[in-house]
Amino acid sequence: MDRKHPENEEALQSKSLSWCSPCLIDHAEPAPISTNVTLDVGDSELDLDGPSLIERDSFDNELLEKQTEVVIAERADNIDDDEKEDKCGGLHAESLDQEGEQMQNALNEVDSYKSTFSLASKVQPKEDECIQKDKCELGKLDIEDEGSSEDRDLSDSVSTDNTLEDSSEFGRPAPVLAGSTGNHIEGPGGRMSGPSSPLLEQSGGSSALSHRDEDVTAESWRLHRKHVFVLSEAGKPIYSRYGNEEALSSTMGVMMALVSFVQSGENVIRSIYSEDHKVVFVQQGPLVLVSVSRGRQSEQQLRKELQYVYYQIISMLTQGSVARIFERKKNYDLRRLLAGSEKILDGLLNFVDSDPSFLLSAVHCLPLSSSLRDSLSLILQKAITPNLVFSILIAKNQLLTIVQEKAVIEDARLEPADLHLLLNLIRASSAFQAGEIWTPICLPLFNPDGYFYAYISYLDPPECTVCLLLLSTDKEAFYSVAECKRRIEESMRTQNSLQSIAAIQSYSVVQVGVSDLRHFMYKPFDVPDNCKQLTQFTSPEMEAPYSIEEERHRLFDMYRYLHSRIHSSSRPLKLIYHVAEKETLLAWVTSKFELYTCFSPLVTKTSAINAITKLLRWIKKEEDRLFIRYPPKYSTTPNPSKGSRGAKGGSDRQDMTDNGFLSLL
Amino acid sequence: MKKPDVKLVILGDVNVGKTSLLHRYTERRFKDTVSTVGGAFFLKQWGPYNISIWDTAGREQFHGLGSMYCRGAAAVVLTYDVTNWQSFAELEDRFLALTDTASADCIFAIVGNKADLTDECASVPHPEAERDACPCPSPVSTTKSHKQVVKEDAVALYKRILKYKMLEEKQCQAAEAMCFETSAKSGYNVDLLFETLFDMVVPGILRKRAEGLSQTVDLMECKGTGPKSSCCY
Ligand SMILES: Nc1nc2c(ncn2[C@@H]2O[C@H](COP(=O)(O)OP(=O)(O)OP(=O)(O)O)[C@@H](O)[C@H]2O)c(=O)[nH]1
Ligand SMILES: [Mg+2]
Repeated sequence: MDRKHPENEEALQSKSLSWCSPCLIDHAEPAPISTNVTLDVGDSELDLDGPSLIERDSFDNELLEKQTEVVIAERADNIDDDEKEDKCGGLHAESLDQEGEQMQNALNEVDSYKSTFSLASKVQPKEDECIQKDKCELGKLDIEDEGSSEDRDLSDSVSTDNTLEDSSEFGRPAPVLAGSTGNHIEGPGGRMSGPSSPLLEQSGGSSALSHRDEDVTAESWRLHRKHVFVLSEAGKPIYSRYGNEEALSSTMGVMMALVSFVQSGENVIRSIYSEDHKVVFVQQGPLVLVSVSRGRQSEQQLRKELQYVYYQIISMLTQGSVARIFERKKNYDLRRLLAGSEKILDGLLNFVDSDPSFLLSAVHCLPLSSSLRDSLSLILQKAITPNLVFSILIAKNQLLTIVQEKAVIEDARLEPADLHLLLNLIRASSAFQAGEIWTPICLPLFNPDGYFYAYISYLDPPECTVCLLLLSTDKEAFYSVAECKRRIEESMRTQNSLQSIAAIQSYSVVQVGVSDLRHFMYKPFDVPDNCKQLTQFTSPEMEAPYSIEEERHRLFDMYRYLHSRIHSSSRPLKLIYHVAEKETLLAWVTSKFELYTCFSPLVTKTSAINAITKLLRWIKKEEDRLFIRYPPKYSTTPNPSKGSRGAKGGSDRQDMTDNGFLSLL
Repeated sequence: MKKPDVKLVILGDVNVGKTSLLHRYTERRFKDTVSTVGGAFFLKQWGPYNISIWDTAGREQFHGLGSMYCRGAAAVVLTYDVTNWQSFAELEDRFLALTDTASADCIFAIVGNKADLTDECASVPHPEAERDACPCPSPVSTTKSHKQVVKEDAVALYKRILKYKMLEEKQCQAAEAMCFETSAKSGYNVDLLFETLFDMVVPGILRKRAEGLSQTVDLMECKGTGPKSSCCY
């Protein structure tokens, strides 16, 4: 890469200042970001030539010297947030002050588990309102006032990503107990100095059994890039991504101790930042979910992933029954009900780490000529039975088409997250390939307390790439739903649909015809008159140089990074031009879409802008092929209220509960 | 479309090897499985007859569906793991009640799977101490495990089931003939198990046909035998 590029130099200069200073600058004001950059969103024209902030960034240790970034920021919309934070900060200061000694003890306890966790927590109790940054050397404990933002779980009260070495990265004006992250990459024990690359480690999709059997005291266990734990409020282990939960019960005990200690002060623990780990806590009903991550994912993203884990658990048990179980018996061992489901959760976490659908909260559908998609939809539309509410056709883990019951679609739409959970269930259970499955499933965003009954069957045995998923609200409907499948099979045979589906290829970026463009992800936002539509995104196949898994993960990490900057709650950005060592990325969000592009490193700003204009034109032209434009509907219920949310689900839940869980207690 | 004449249901705790047994029988091999979700429906051609088989999930999470899978069943296979006493105890505690919806003349088989794991000499009678162990069975090891359930336990259970169903043993099969020890891994007794059961349900199919009557409402509806009728499972 050309190191004499003017931006690079500029960046080095602008950075050197902040590097030299011994402590982080606590900006009481928003960072000195550029104000006079014009951004013409309407016409898809970008102007990056105006004065703009150039940030350096330490995406990777070895890339340290090689990156520049142009950031055009939106500001002035966070004043409210900041004020709120401010208050929270004050509150905490109070309560923590009083219990400073106790807090110290709790943190010492964490310290003693440092060997397990590498949690370098030397947070000192505060002495006055002014935060003693220099004293708090390594750890940062981020606590939030109870209830203040339970709902906006996507906001993080401190946006600092402690892997950034960047003068504009700082806590909010009054960060809570924020210490300098002290993360000098050059220093000893830098996070990237581990013997194995986290990307390599992650790439092994090895069997869940071996993960379960892992030695939790081994160094290799500690080196996992992202741990996920689920425990009950009584501190009982429920799930661990790596290693057996039993062996980790003391570790989980400490986590629970932290949670309840902070709770006793009427606070909610949200995250702990240490030198090389981020620990994020999510409390959902009687469950506590913890993510311990070495990567540079944002707290916000980790929080969302934990939310997905929670939803997957709920999809198997429903929120109501989980709540009831723990109401009756605080120290109930939920693994009794979840035994056997670990692979589904393992699968979800691997899915989350490799598929952008979760990051973008959007569904990836397979590109398909609209005539073929329409003919498939029509086949589904014709094969119906009472109480059928969704008919979904999936190929290669991507959506071919989805048809919904009229009454249901008016009531609510299928959230991408619910569809992701269904796809994960199908993906994680390769045993589905044999026979026809009939199983209760809860779609937590649709209705966290009701069950649907899912019929799952592959249409092309033995290859098993085309999967039919039919959702009914009637527990007893298996045979009539299975009959729908026969009819669908029949129609597909006469229309030769399976051959047409087998011929479908995801597209190559080459087809876009823009040189230097290597990959992109494009997510259009719903336009108002189309708001019942499923949120979707489109993305070409990952090709060389991203055909190697390791490189693929690296690119995905960069996308995640850009996504976290775009969606930062303290300083959301509209546009990021990020020059990395091996590629140049450009992320752009407008009122109409969100776009992430990856170019070869030699691209210039002008050519990148031209390329994006061309890309947007191409997408517009291909729209009908790339997206499901208008999900078709059918009507299966003479009495529309019957199939709609709540009513039916409620009675089914009762059913399950009475037959099942309550008898166990 | 093939119309099933009769239904067979496989019940038993998580991880005892229900799916593996069925795989071994239908695909002639032992392969990696994932814990079953809900229930999986298969159709097996047996001579001129079509037999539907439900491989159910052992997880407590799916307990509520059990009676639905069992409705009208002609045969129920109660499966346990010979190296895990708890899996045997669960049959009576948890699964037997599900069979209340089965056909009145339902045939029961009791199957102790994973026989390959046991070292006959090492068998120990009911280790009470291990009953309250962790709910998840210990991972499969290559070393021989202690046999925790012997065939006499199964025979005794079979007799209790007949009593529960208020059936006379002399009208039914001899208990010894209905208790199997199998290995999905080696294939030991797997064909014997399924084929014995298939042969046993055939007289029931014939009887039903002769009577021209059906046991359930579902069956009533499709007496017209339209080629596309959706019932008769
Ligand atoms: N050694 C040995 N292992 C077996 C045998 N049968 C099954 N297993 C193993 O036991 C585990 C569980 O087998 P499954 O067939 O999935 O058990 P299942 O009863 O279907 O479990 P659920 O679907 O969760 O109810 C797998 O790891 C199998 O490889 C056997 O005969 N011998
Ligand atoms: Mg199974």
